[in-house]
Amino acid sequence: MSTVDATGETARRPLTGRRVHVGDLLLQGVAGVAAAAATLLVVLIAYKVVDGARPAIEQFGAGFVGHVGWDPVKKSFGGASFLYGTAVTSAFALLLAGPLAMGVALFLTELAPSGIRAPVTALVETLAAIPSVVIGLWGILVLGPVLRTDVMPFLHDTLGFIPLFGPTSTGSSLFTAIVVLTIMVLPIVSSISRELFLGVPDELKDGALALGTTRWEMVRGVMFPYARGGVAAALILGLGRAVGEAIAVTQVVGGFVGTPVNLFSPGDTLASRIAAEYQGAASNLQVASLIYLGLILLVFSLLVNLLAQWIVRRAARRSGLAGARA
Amino acid sequence: MPKSGSFIRTSTALAAAAAVAALSAGGAAGAPAKSSGGALQGAGSSLVAPALAIWGPLYSEARGVTVNYSSVGSGAGIAAITARTVDFGASDAPLTPDQTTACKDCVQIPWALTATVPVFNVPGVKDIQLRLDGPTLANIFLGKITTWDAPAIKKLNAGLSLPSTKITVVHRSDGSGDSYVFTDYLSKVSPAWKKQVGSATSVDWPTGIGGKGNSGVAAAVASTPGSIGYVSDAYVLQNHLAKARLKNASGRYTLPSIKSIGEAASLVKSVPADMNVSITNPPKAASRKLRDAWPLSTFTYIIVPHTTAKAKEIKNFVSWALTHGQPPIRKYVFAPMPLVMVKAANKALAKVHS
Repeated sequence: MSTVDATGETARRPLTGRRVHVGDLLLQGVAGVAAAAATLLVVLIAYKVVDGARPAIEQFGAGFVGHVGWDPVKKSFGGASFLYGTAVTSAFALLLAGPLAMGVALFLTELAPSGIRAPVTALVETLAAIPSVVIGLWGILVLGPVLRTDVMPFLHDTLGFIPLFGPTSTGSSLFTAIVVLTIMVLPIVSSISRELFLGVPDELKDGALALGTTRWEMVRGVMFPYARGGVAAALILGLGRAVGEAIAVTQVVGGFVGTPVNLFSPGDTLASRIAAEYQGAASNLQVASLIYLGLILLVFSLLVNLLAQWIVRRAARRSGLAGARA
Repeated sequence: MPKSGSFIRTSTALAAAAAVAALSAGGAAGAPAKSSGGALQGAGSSLVAPALAIWGPLYSEARGVTVNYSSVGSGAGIAAITARTVDFGASDAPLTPDQTTACKDCVQIPWALTATVPVFNVPGVKDIQLRLDGPTLANIFLGKITTWDAPAIKKLNAGLSLPSTKITVVHRSDGSGDSYVFTDYLSKVSPAWKKQVGSATSVDWPTGIGGKGNSGVAAAVASTPGSIGYVSDAYVLQNHLAKARLKNASGRYTLPSIKSIGEAASLVKSVPADMNVSITNPPKAASRKLRDAWPLSTFTYIIVPHTTAKAKEIKNFVSWALTHGQPPIRKYVFAPMPLVMVKAANKALAKVHS
């Protein structure tokens, strides 16, 4: 697919006239090889994963995906608890991080006094550079206790009628993982969104303001529509991070097998279970089952990506219209 | 090189050169050391890592051979020696049948003796005040006892004021030798545990939260009031966690120490060919001298191929570790290996060849 794109690109925009340059050929060749190598790599990984998971696939079949349970002693494995945990934690993390990141990006491009823009931008981007193992450790030692003693009981008391906010147990929970993931996703989404907002042409913004819009109306009517496609792409990147994050989640999620509706109970995710158990797996079937989890993760990410790309395309079409209107 | 001065004083120039090489190569984790002469590359158990951290420089000083060790976990160590990317692996749990088959002609040799210990965080209860016995510990980890003022716990702790705090069980979420020792013990003292859960490096925990590594469990216990978990004894020292006393088969509430771990190991009378010796829940002691045996003691193993190009170096190192290596690691609560195990280890070692 990418190879075709590269060819199409050069064909559409020949550098000088219709003469073929050595440089063009070289570019096409290098880009083509790079794209082919990337594709080949994905195919090889997919093959290796399927191959490694084969014993578990033969043993459990597709039922593995829907089976809740993980017993290394009795050698009975299933992926449902972890698929559930991955879906819940990454969805909620994105739900929390999205609006927050928009706020941060808008503040840094439109609202912040110029003196504090640079330092705050740098700090937010530093957040993205903190190793996940450090965030995870902070998650158990600092964040977990605060959530357990203050935040979770408060949410339970005020919103307890929603089953998601059940009774509090410990600092290690799906909720803690969601908060940790939110913190990890936030800088990715906000820094990309900031770049996108900066890219909104001043003429459009000034034009809107000149027509008498308030700043909020300008943001809503001009900036959001203009950047919509890009922001959606940023959210997808963030989602990818949340779905695939292993170490930080392992440290705070509690490693519990099951599908609890209550976010305050421990759970586990696909990536986290693989990270926790792969090194110490006691039987071949356990290793194969962990790789099977990897396969589920691969397919899950692929589906999420396809869905997200569809959303981006839709958003891009709409933003194109909006741009024309503005 | 802060210590190069003392190296030169106490050893030949050659050994000093090797030591310098050791210091510079020490950070290279997991890299295979092919045939670089005087060097051994190992990987595995984090329980035994403090011992290897001490042995490395000492052995290099004494024999001029560098020993590099990556503390990657028992399972990863077994995987590494199976793939022959290291010269030796180290594991706290004996090889499972699957692992033995995969490793192709590997031998596990016991080379150190240490323990796992239950740690707790109960408001108002201090270090070593809490007393537990096997069945109670099993019922806590089965989720059958859920509060600290449950009658079963109160009965063992007359005179201690226990709060009504809910019990939070903390276990390892990764595969670990500590989990193996712990579940092996619970399987011996509780039929219900044996039937429902069993023993392995990772099991289907009926209740509680998982922490990754000793550090994860320690952090979760430290930050959760009402929690109970288990960690390597060497780790308790570094983290100031509260230890629980455990009742052994002789009816004594003991704590892990060089003496009590040694007592548990001294009850080993014969060693099977595969060296798989479990010393958890040692039987009632015949003499008063051995009645404090710690019930969660364990041997930890070095795993080497029977046929290896480094046979000579490995044999020398393991013999050294079994003799000269034992006293310096006492401070990390590694008890000296009992004679019968040393003999069996040497016998197994003799069969390693190039």
